[in-house]
Amino acid sequence: MEFHRPTDMSEALRLLASDPEARLLAGGASLVAMMNARLVEPTTLISLAGIENLAGITEIDGGVLRIGAMTRHRETASDMRLSGGRSVLRRAAGRIANPVVRNMGTIGGSIALADPAADYPAALVCLDAEIVAAGPISERRIPAREFFTGWYETALEPGEMVAAVLIPKTTAGSVGVYRKLARVAGDFAIVSVALRLAAQNGHCTELQIAVGGSGPAPLRLPQFEEKLVGRPLDDLDAAALGRALAWISDPVDDVRASADYRRRVIPRMVEDAYRRAVARLGAKA
Amino acid sequence: MREGIEIALRVNNAGRSVTVPADETLLETLRERLALTGAKRGCNQGVCGACTVSVDGRPMRACLSLTANCAGAEIVTIEGVARDGMLGRIQMALEQTGAVQCGFCTSGMVIAAEALLRANPQPSAAEVQAGISGNLCRCSGYRTIVDAVLLAAAGGRG
Repeated sequence: MEFHRPTDMSEALRLLASDPEARLLAGGASLVAMMNARLVEPTTLISLAGIENLAGITEIDGGVLRIGAMTRHRETASDMRLSGGRSVLRRAAGRIANPVVRNMGTIGGSIALADPAADYPAALVCLDAEIVAAGPISERRIPAREFFTGWYETALEPGEMVAAVLIPKTTAGSVGVYRKLARVAGDFAIVSVALRLAAQNGHCTELQIAVGGSGPAPLRLPQFEEKLVGRPLDDLDAAALGRALAWISDPVDDVRASADYRRRVIPRMVEDAYRRAVARLGAKA
Repeated sequence: MREGIEIALRVNNAGRSVTVPADETLLETLRERLALTGAKRGCNQGVCGACTVSVDGRPMRACLSLTANCAGAEIVTIEGVARDGMLGRIQMALEQTGAVQCGFCTSGMVIAAEALLRANPQPSAAEVQAGISGNLCRCSGYRTIVDAVLLAAAGGRG
């Protein structure tokens, strides 16, 4: 096994293109665990730890927050610029594993692996985030909804890597909620719900809900969300949207829960997340 | 035989140099090459926390860290927590509350709890629980461990 620690992106991408069995090493929280279990045996490891400017959160044009691929969960979980609707991502990051693993794991590594039970996918889909994919020739931006394509599958082409995640501004006064049902603290989600909500004069002006852990990719129904816009907050049937999300879900039976249990719990999780969002709006007003 | 990678790092305040294969974890290096067996190999998956060591001032999983990626790192293991024969504050508190049963989780608990108190010198019991939530005690003796961290935070005068 070869080990490389390039100091710039172009060198990392060149190494990545040179060996189809090469793997990029970010925080190691998943890749090294998989290597220890002999689930992957890369012939080349390319550490991203030596590349400057790949970690950290910066504000770019239009108030968009750019989260570098090597940004640790700890940092994302504590950056208060992720406030209002964008707090969905901060809250999701704070629910990943435990403080020690949050010191290691990175947003780029996590989403490139695309575990459907992980915390970022639903949060990023809820936020209409974009993933910056760097390739040997150019960079492109992939909407989060198109990035997660299947079980552990993403829209990344061979030779591409996650360079950053872009989080657009959310509506002033909006709130974010991230609810995660798990067996024990720090476990992967049985089901997770990422939700943001905005209102004016007690009426919903915006509602975005993504559900994680319930299929190969996060679930979202923007047209159904649209139908709920304009409803009074106290007469908005979030559980109906939850039932529709459960209807389109494709959960697995696994050690954490049965598929049937997951389908049953989705509407209740959605309703619970909505109630918390309304309460949070009330606390702000 | 594959070639090794020469890595210089600092372990418990001493410069060390090792030559390792690319896939050798820091845990293997500490235990097999440097004879520092305080960090334990439990799950080797990053879940149990028994291998937790401090890397550049932050607690990390030694089993998920590749030594080849640790060039120049400053590592503190449980063997480096006591100074001049004096146990650290967490170690003393664990002894006082009788929190050590089989002891397998203890070294990782100490490293995680030391980091918790550095970041939050006066944690609540709930904050202590969250802080050590990534360290599993198979004896399930959490209560006395939480008591010990609170005792250490109170300066040993709980």
